[in-house]
Amino acid sequence: MNITSRTAESSVAVIECDGRLNMVAAPSLRSHIEATVRDGRSRIVVDLGRTAFIDSSGLGALIAGLKRARQAGGDLRIAAPNEQVRTVLRLTNLDRVLRPYDRIEEATDGW
Amino acid sequence: MAGDHAYSAGGLAIPESLEQLHTLIERVGAEQAHVPASDLSMVETAVIEIAGNLVAHGRPPGQVLYRFTLEVHPDRLRGVLADSGEPLPPDLQVAAADELADSGRGLFIAHAVLDEPTYEQGRDGNTWTMVRILRS
Repeated sequence: MNITSRTAESSVAVIECDGRLNMVAAPSLRSHIEATVRDGRSRIVVDLGRTAFIDSSGLGALIAGLKRARQAGGDLRIAAPNEQVRTVLRLTNLDRVLRPYDRIEEATDGW
Repeated sequence: MAGDHAYSAGGLAIPESLEQLHTLIERVGAEQAHVPASDLSMVETAVIEIAGNLVAHGRPPGQVLYRFTLEVHPDRLRGVLADSGEPLPPDLQVAAADELADSGRGLFIAHAVLDEPTYEQGRDGNTWTMVRILRS
């Protein structure tokens, strides 16, 4: 999986995950989020628009990232998940904690 | 049964093997157009969770062999994942997780998306059988 990041308005970090967010890719998302928070950016949107698949390791990385961002006074949101990702979030009740936004702009709105 | 097809993949239960399983599922999706994408996606979710568990916890580490076969029937998908590893302890066979835990949800997810998951331990290894009845 390819992970890239950029800064959006209000210094929100947008991290894009291109590929499958499974046990092979999850550690790299965790460290990417960690580096972003250490760089002083704790308001994070993870763009899942090109994330084809997520498993429990990927969910774990998002949850760990959320906790880290909140510890630093910020938050982590997710944008544009596909049907498989939405279903996995719903089954685990994580859609209440990681509320899916349809687009990045909605996720950063009012931040 | 007429119209039934089976797809297989196998090898060492290591992280790279997960890619083989995703590729197998992609092939099924391309060749079996009658299978709803959502049902196939849920079987993919279950097998990757179960295989991922095997990769992470199978014993002896790095030496467990697996074979996965997916049968496509008119009304259901039936996956069988057989491995040569030692039996998994009971807490790695079914799980529920605390809401903000970083891990532990895998088997809960697998059970939630399958209709008849079973796990059998044998002398020569273990077998997970995963059935998903097609919804559409």
